[in-house]
Amino acid sequence: MAPMTQGFRLADAPMARDRTAGWRFVRDQGEAVQEVDGTWLLTSPEAVRFAHHHPEIFSSAKAFDSLGSPVPLIPLAVDPPDHKKFRRILDPMLAPRVINEMEDSLRAQVRTLVSNVAGSGTCDVVHDLGRLYPTQVFLTLFGLPLEDRDQFIEWVEAIVENSNKDATAEPAPEVIAAAMGLFSYLQGHVDEKRAHPADDMLSRVLALSGDDGWSNDEVLGLCFLFTLAGLDTVAAAIGFVMLHLAEHAELRRQLVEDPSAVGPAIEEVLRLELPAPTTPRVVMEDVEVCGTRLPAGAQVALCLATANREPGWFAQPDEIDLGQADGGHLAFGGGIHRCLGSHLARRELRLVVEEFHKLIPEYELAPGAEPQVAWPSGTLHLTSLPLVFPAASRA
Amino acid sequence: MRVVIDQDRCTGHGRCYVVAPALFSDDEAGFGQVVEDGDLDEGHRADADRAVNACPEQAVSIIIINHQEE
Repeated sequence: MAPMTQGFRLADAPMARDRTAGWRFVRDQGEAVQEVDGTWLLTSPEAVRFAHHHPEIFSSAKAFDSLGSPVPLIPLAVDPPDHKKFRRILDPMLAPRVINEMEDSLRAQVRTLVSNVAGSGTCDVVHDLGRLYPTQVFLTLFGLPLEDRDQFIEWVEAIVENSNKDATAEPAPEVIAAAMGLFSYLQGHVDEKRAHPADDMLSRVLALSGDDGWSNDEVLGLCFLFTLAGLDTVAAAIGFVMLHLAEHAELRRQLVEDPSAVGPAIEEVLRLELPAPTTPRVVMEDVEVCGTRLPAGAQVALCLATANREPGWFAQPDEIDLGQADGGHLAFGGGIHRCLGSHLARRELRLVVEEFHKLIPEYELAPGAEPQVAWPSGTLHLTSLPLVFPAASRA
Repeated sequence: MRVVIDQDRCTGHGRCYVVAPALFSDDEAGFGQVVEDGDLDEGHRADADRAVNACPEQAVSIIIINHQEE
């Protein structure tokens, strides 16, 4: 099928205020559609699944070459067969039973963040929770000092903001300074933990030896990927979940009454509001996808966001409906590159909602607030989410 | 009726043991494994269907055992 329009650009999608309109615009272009800059978008569940199931044709390693990272982004920018070696080691380090061991600490940390704002009657979810909590969780997981949080955030925000802009442009001096700062910080802690292992994920990776052992660059690449892929994405998801709960009072009260509905509600928000709506690949050989021929070397974006809203798949494709929360959405991707942190991200989101609701069960958007996402952007996140609520006396 | 996980397709999303904990559990890597391996009665049908739907990789399936032919 030929593309329906000439001159399609993802950046033209009306995304900022309304992702339903934005992703509908994209999906209406077709199942496999080329942007004017040459990138192909695969928009249907069938097309996305085809790419997920053929990682040897749809290379993730090649897709991250243009980023010019000085260290290998492990395990995302690794193709088969090496990919398996890294995931075999990393999957057990981020399995639910490992996260169970951390849950008390993670819960206490989000409780503190919520109680910091509960007495004031107002907060900005993006600034007061989203920016802070995922970074604290990362520092906890890797055994890094929590007091480094704000410095860490400063570095990562400079780098991520830059990567969401034109990737071909020369980075500004402050971006290079941030990357250098982050790298030397991480290298220092790698050296320290190599000498004095502790009970944390970074120490466990460093303790691997023989055929399983990692080079210094591989360890830094893992740390770097976690900071690029695991912080602003969870921050964004926290914003989207709280936005929908603030806007849907009935759903929010249902969750306050019955916390077992929190998980399903999170699944539905993730399905509709993806922090990482597309994932990049490069085609290694000529291939036909849903009737469209993609040439070897083509840049491809797997559009998880449109796949998740496919009318033939979900009965209420653009609405939150807890009855379809077990539908197998693709917000965490699929195939061998399924988000390594998906179990941790889901736990963080659940803990945020549970602890927020314990102290602040009633809340709504601040008067006049019109939350929107920064757009165009590789990752989606609300720029601000101001809430108002009755000040909690317990805080 | 039996439930099975296609290990070649499973990539560890972990949805099966969340939506149907009576039939599946998590292994040490967070991948699902079948806990009720034998012939299941119809009472498990809703759980089994839920797991089939919830798997993003379409790796979970239900096998109907035809007792007449045994």
